[in-house]
Amino acid sequence: MPLFEGLGSGGEKTAVVVDLGAAYTKCGFAGETGPRFIIPSEIKRAGSPEAVRVVQYNINTEELYSILKEFVHLLYFRHLLVNPRDRRVVIVESVLCPSHFRETLSRVFFKHFEVPSVLFAPSHLMSVMTLGIQSALVMDCGYTETLVLPESLERVPILSAWEALPMGGKAIHRDLQRGMKIQEARFNLDGSAERPAPPPDVEYPLDGQKILHVKGAIRDSVAEMLFEQDNEEKSIATLLLDTLVKCPIDTRKVLSENLVIIGGTSMLPGFLHRLLSEIRSLVEKPKYRDALATKSFRIHSPPAKPNCTAWLGGAIFGALQDILGSRSVSRDYYSETGRIPDWCCLSTPLPDSVYEAGKMPPPLMKRAFSTEK
Amino acid sequence: MATLLQPEKVLYLVRGEKKIRVPLSQLYFCRYCSELRSLECVSHEVDSHFCPSCLENMPSAEAKLKKNRCANCFDCPCCMHTLSTRATNIPAPLPDDPTKTTMKKAYYLACGFCRWTSRDVGMADKSVASGGWQEPENPHTQRINKLIEYYQQLAQREKLERDRKKLARRRPFMPQAFSQHTIHVVEKYGLGTRLQRQRSGAPISALYGLSLKEGEDQKEITIEPAQALDEVEPLPEDYYTRPVNLPEVTTLRQRLLQPDFQPAGASQLHPRHKHLLMKRSLRCRKCEHNLSKPEFNPTSIKFKIQLVAVSYIPEVRIMSIPNLRHMKESQVLLTLTNPVENITHVSLYTCEEEDPDDINSTAKVLVPSKELVLSGKDAAAEYDELAEPQGFQDDPDVVAFRKSNKIGFFIKVVPQREEGDVTVAFKLRHDFRNLAAPIRPTEEGEATSEAIWLTHHVELSLGPLAT
Repeated sequence: MPLFEGLGSGGEKTAVVVDLGAAYTKCGFAGETGPRFIIPSEIKRAGSPEAVRVVQYNINTEELYSILKEFVHLLYFRHLLVNPRDRRVVIVESVLCPSHFRETLSRVFFKHFEVPSVLFAPSHLMSVMTLGIQSALVMDCGYTETLVLPESLERVPILSAWEALPMGGKAIHRDLQRGMKIQEARFNLDGSAERPAPPPDVEYPLDGQKILHVKGAIRDSVAEMLFEQDNEEKSIATLLLDTLVKCPIDTRKVLSENLVIIGGTSMLPGFLHRLLSEIRSLVEKPKYRDALATKSFRIHSPPAKPNCTAWLGGAIFGALQDILGSRSVSRDYYSETGRIPDWCCLSTPLPDSVYEAGKMPPPLMKRAFSTEK
Repeated sequence: MATLLQPEKVLYLVRGEKKIRVPLSQLYFCRYCSELRSLECVSHEVDSHFCPSCLENMPSAEAKLKKNRCANCFDCPCCMHTLSTRATNIPAPLPDDPTKTTMKKAYYLACGFCRWTSRDVGMADKSVASGGWQEPENPHTQRINKLIEYYQQLAQREKLERDRKKLARRRPFMPQAFSQHTIHVVEKYGLGTRLQRQRSGAPISALYGLSLKEGEDQKEITIEPAQALDEVEPLPEDYYTRPVNLPEVTTLRQRLLQPDFQPAGASQLHPRHKHLLMKRSLRCRKCEHNLSKPEFNPTSIKFKIQLVAVSYIPEVRIMSIPNLRHMKESQVLLTLTNPVENITHVSLYTCEEEDPDDINSTAKVLVPSKELVLSGKDAAAEYDELAEPQGFQDDPDVVAFRKSNKIGFFIKVVPQREEGDVTVAFKLRHDFRNLAAPIRPTEEGEATSEAIWLTHHVELSLGPLAT
C-alpha cells in the first residue's frame, strides 16, 4: 500500500470511480485493484416487471434524470456505502457518449448528490494507463458497440482515426433470440476449409420448470456474427486494420505491436486468438497489403480482467490526488456555467486558461502527463 | 398492513424542486422551514454501518479498512446466502504421544440453502471457529501499486511545474534575484519557504518534497512497460467435443460477485465476506437540519430524531365510498386525525378554477365550509372507557362522529366524467404550533408558541364509477 494511505488526516478522501456501461456498471474507489461491485445497469421499478435500462440515449431528459438519480442512489447507498458529498467522482465513459447523456448525468451528480467535483475520463485512454506504455491501439468490445481508438505518444488519442461498429454482446443476444440464421464457421484452427463437427448440444434449465435446448451448431456459430463481414466488408477485425490505415505512417508500427482489447464481449473463450488470426489473414488481402507495411501484431494483457480494465485505469488516475482536483469539473464551475466541457464543443473556455497560454487543446485531450524536465 | 389502510388513495402534494404527490406516511416535515419534505428533496447521508447477519455495528474507519465487509460472516458464492460454520471431529495425533489419537475439532463453512461447502473449493478445514478463513488475494496487486506510485511521481512533478508557472506569472514585478535560477534552486532543494506557505494544506506534497531534497535522481521510480505477446492461447480443442458440465460452469452473476477473479469454473468460487448495510440519516436541503436520525445500535428500530409528517400534519383517510354515478352528487365519508396534543382547527377549501396544482381531479367536490375542530391527542384516553362528552357542537350534516382526536365528516362529490377513476382534490388548512421555535422570555399567561397556518393540497382517489 502506498505510504500515505495510513495518514488519515492529511489529504482528501479517496475518489469514487464509476464506469457506466450499457450492460454492466463497475463501481469502486480510487487506488484499489479492482471494482467493488459489477452490477447490471438497470433498475427495478414498482410498476413494470422488467428492469429498466439505465444507459439509454433516446429517452427524454426528465425520465433519464429520474432513472439516473435512482441508479446513482443505489450505487452510493447500497454498494459503496459512502456520503456523496465528501468524495470526488471519476466517471469512465466512452468518447462517443452523447452530450445529452453526459449533461444529465452531471446534473444528477452535482444538483442532487452535491458531489464536490466530477471528472469524465475516456475509457480508451484509461486502459492505456494500466499498462505503463506510451502508445497503444485500444479496442473496446462492449455490449452495444465496438469502438477502436488509437492512443499515440504522450497518450493523446488520435481522435480522427476512430472506428466503430454496432457489434457487441447485444447483437449476439438479438441473434440468439431471433432464432438465428446459422452462419457457417468460416475459419478454422488448422486452416482447412471444412467446418468442424458442431459441439454437443446443451440442455439448459430455466426457472426450474422449462428446459432450453441449445443446439450445438448454434453454440459455435452465433459468435461468428462478430467476425463476418457485412455489406461494407466491415467486421471487428477490419476495424483494427482500418484504424491503422487512418493513423499517421510513423505511428503504425508502434500501434500494431501494442494492441489492447478491453470490454466484456472480449472475454468470450478463444476470442483473442480468433481476432489475431483474422487480423493476420486479412492483412494479406489486397486491400490492406499495400496500405500497411507492418505485419506484426501483438496483444497486451492488462493487470485486470478485460471488463474492468477501463475502470482500473480510472482508479489509478483517481488515486493521483495532486492533479485530480485540477482536472475535474468542480461544483462551483458547474453552477457558474451550467455545463461541462465536452471535446466536441469549442465554446467552453478552459477553467485554468491562465496556464495554457500558447496551446489550447480541448480539455479532455490534455496531455496526461508532461515529462518535460 | 399497508393494503388494509390503502395509503395510496390519499396523496399530499410536496412543493420541492418538482411537485410530488405522495401519501402522508412517506413524508417528512421540517419544523424549521414548516414545510413538507419527501425523500427526493432531502439529502441522504450514511449514518452507521452494520452487518446484516451478525448485527454488529462497525465504526466507519474500520468499515473503510475492511472494504465494507464483515470480518466474521461469509456469503455463499453460489446462492449468496449466509454461510454457517460447522464442526466435525477428526482424529489427530496428540503432540506428545504420536501413537495415541484424539478427536480434534475441525471447522468448515457450509450453506444451508444450496448445500455448498468450503470443501468443494478445496479450502482446508480450520482449527479455529472464526478468523481462520482468508480471502484470496488479487495476483496483480503489486503491479498496480507500482503503477500508481509511478504515476504519482509524474503527477507530482506536473503539479510542481504548474505551481512554478503560477508563481512566475503571478509576480511580474519580482526582483531580479528571484529569477529562474532561484526557482531551480528552490525546486532542487525542496520546497522553498514561499511555496510552502502557500500550500499549507498539502502535507502529502511536503512529504514527497522532502524526499526530493536529497537529490532528484534518488527517488526516481521507473516501471517497466508492459510487454505485448505475440501469441495468445487458442480455444482448447475439447470445446468441440466435450459435453458441457452445467453445474460446473459459473453463472454470470456468480462470476461478477468476485470482480477480481471472475472464475469460469465453480471449483474456483471462493466465499467472500458479507457486505455491510448502512443506516441512513436525512437532512433538509434548505435549512440543513436533520429530519431523521436513526439509533446507533443496529438492533434498535427507534430514531433519535424523527420528524415524520404523520406526527405533525392532520391525516385524511377515506372511510366509506358510496356508489358514484356520473353527474350525481354522492356523499363520501372521510376521517381526519389530529396527531398533536393541542386542539387543532382545520378548514377545507375547494381548489380555485385555475389552480396549477389541480391537474388530476375528475370530479367536483363540495367541502364543509365551517371550520372543524379536533381535540388533542391524549394518550391516556385510549384506555379510558368512559369518555367524557367533549362538548363540541357538531353539525350533524357535516360531522358524522367524533372520537377523541378523530372526526368523521362528509364531503359531496359530483363525478364529471363518464369513465375512469374519480379523483378529487381540495386544500387543507390547519394551525401548527411550532414547539421547536426558541422560547422567548414571556410573561406569565402569554402563549409560549405562536400558531402558523399551513395549507396542504390533498388528492383523493375514490375508485371507479359504479356501473
